[in-house]
Amino acid sequence: MSRIFTVCLKEILDNLRDRQTLFYALLFGPLLLPLIVAGSLIAGFKQSDIDFSEVSELAVLHADRAPNLISFLRQQNVDVTQAPENYKAELQDGSLELVLEIPENYASNLRTAKPAPLTLYVNHGDRNSSKAARKLSRLLEVHKRTIDTLRLQARGLNPDVFDSVQVTEIDISEDGAGVQILASMLPFLLIMSMVMGGFYLAIDTTAGERERQSLEPLLSLPVQRFSVVAGKYLATWCFVTLSGLLTAIALVLLFRFFPSDVLSTLLRFDAFTIAKAFVLALPLTVLITSLLLAVSAFTRSSKEAQTYLGVLMVIPMAPFFLLQFLNIRSANAIMAMPMMSQYKLLEKVAKGESILPVHILLSVTGTLVFATALFSLAVWLYKRDQIIT
Amino acid sequence: MIVVESISKSFSRKGKRKPGEPRRIEAVKDVSFTASDGSITGLLGSNGAGKSTTLRMLATLMQPDDGTAILDGHDIIRSKLEVRRTIGFMPHNAGIYPRLTARENIYYYADICGVDRVQRNTRTDELIQMLDMASFIDRRADGFSQGQKTKVGLARALVHSPRTLMLDEPTNGLDVVATRGLRDIIRKLADDGHCVLFSSHVMQEVEALCDRIAVIADGRIAAESSLNGLLISTGQTNLEDAFVSIITTPNTKNEKQVTVDSNRSDMGRHTDGPA
Repeated sequence: MSRIFTVCLKEILDNLRDRQTLFYALLFGPLLLPLIVAGSLIAGFKQSDIDFSEVSELAVLHADRAPNLISFLRQQNVDVTQAPENYKAELQDGSLELVLEIPENYASNLRTAKPAPLTLYVNHGDRNSSKAARKLSRLLEVHKRTIDTLRLQARGLNPDVFDSVQVTEIDISEDGAGVQILASMLPFLLIMSMVMGGFYLAIDTTAGERERQSLEPLLSLPVQRFSVVAGKYLATWCFVTLSGLLTAIALVLLFRFFPSDVLSTLLRFDAFTIAKAFVLALPLTVLITSLLLAVSAFTRSSKEAQTYLGVLMVIPMAPFFLLQFLNIRSANAIMAMPMMSQYKLLEKVAKGESILPVHILLSVTGTLVFATALFSLAVWLYKRDQIIT
Repeated sequence: MIVVESISKSFSRKGKRKPGEPRRIEAVKDVSFTASDGSITGLLGSNGAGKSTTLRMLATLMQPDDGTAILDGHDIIRSKLEVRRTIGFMPHNAGIYPRLTARENIYYYADICGVDRVQRNTRTDELIQMLDMASFIDRRADGFSQGQKTKVGLARALVHSPRTLMLDEPTNGLDVVATRGLRDIIRKLADDGHCVLFSSHVMQEVEALCDRIAVIADGRIAAESSLNGLLISTGQTNLEDAFVSIITTPNTKNEKQVTVDSNRSDMGRHTDGPA
């Protein structure tokens, strides 16, 4: 047992002196990754959400041709300005979001009860422009209905006659579409940072040691090869877990700065929730460590190990994308699958849904079974002659 | 004391096989020799002759396919841990950890060997003195010269006071002064009663140092004797000529053809068949 700790402590000390390992374990996973991923997701979420109470700007060509429409828009918090000469160019480069043109025959058509034309210049390549266009279209729809109603009433008709069908959309999902992405962000960030945290340490202690040819004298010492692997395993596990823990802490701090109106009603990212998520993800540290170690024990050089593990990065990412596109239910079989089950469990935690104890049991058991198998594979690889050739 | 009893080892051939080539490479074939305490035994052979494979089997890093060896009474197949306790092994490029200091490198091995703290510290101090490492003992090994690395590797191999010392081409990459220093150290270790087995392809090295020489060629022991014995039996005046004569003469005992795989030899002196 003391041999295992000797190997473990040496590997930790050795790798604490390696800037690459430290960067990925302490900075990349816990800090940079959440900032990049969460930041862009939150920004995207805000972009697609239309706020009608917000004052928006609208450039109008020939505003004088439709004074009633303009005053209606002003009442709806739209700040109407005169469109510049080169409005098309400005729309294209994004300095202008939207231009409304009022053609010459607008007023005359309106007076003679013919369809009055309006032209909207929009740049659908620009998300802000699209969003502004959606907002303005809704406002114009309201304006149109008012005119329609007045016209029908003036002719003695009930306006409801023309509403043959009335569609009401009620969103019964517990969350909106964007919330699903935000919820799976929690497992994604935790798991990715765990993988990144142990990535370089696993490579350095196994493939790296083979490459430096320091493995040969090490294995000639009076120590079981199992103890050597176990020591390296323990060191890698420490980094995996530390990286996960730091990410959890970073997420708690990070979500304090996020717009509360987006998150508070739909998702929970308070300290208690994230602590719960971390505990549920904890069995994964064992599995991730086994996976990293087994793969790098199989390879001969750091470069080879990085290639293999780079491809294997798909495993922790796959559930994130699968869950976005496929509707995967929390069936027992899914809950016994490592990675996938943690994604489902952590999503539920983030959404504040209740979790069945049997699902937790299945998740932990499934994960530990895989972890044991991979660890045994690593030990077996170390017991072969080929490990030193 | 090392008694090697006809050990063999073969590997599966890597890469594409030429037609007619066997599936496996026989790296070591039926090798037997003895290295006794208090003397220096040299394993002399060209590159790829099977020196490293032999040493690796003796260090219990690899399992022989056939045969065995007894180190200080312990069988390398049945009592691996006991064998490892009695040996100090230094592979051909020291293999020390660049981010650890020389002292940390040595302490690490002592701790794994279960040497207690007090003993470890005194033993390390002794080794620092013996190998003249005081000037760099607390520096990280990153920028060490090959000579300094070899010293750390040697100190590491000696920290648990092993009876038997196995060194794989220890003078590789060392300059003349460092080589001489190392020779003195090895000589002193043998005089202290250690059994020293080292492999080399450098004639002067073996000539200057070894009490006994085992010549290994194409995975087999071609001759085993003292330096004088080899010179007399081949009728040559220096080891280099004796060596070439031994490895190019068919060994009648084993009825073998001395064929040297061109890509496994960089000595460039061998041709197929007798010289």
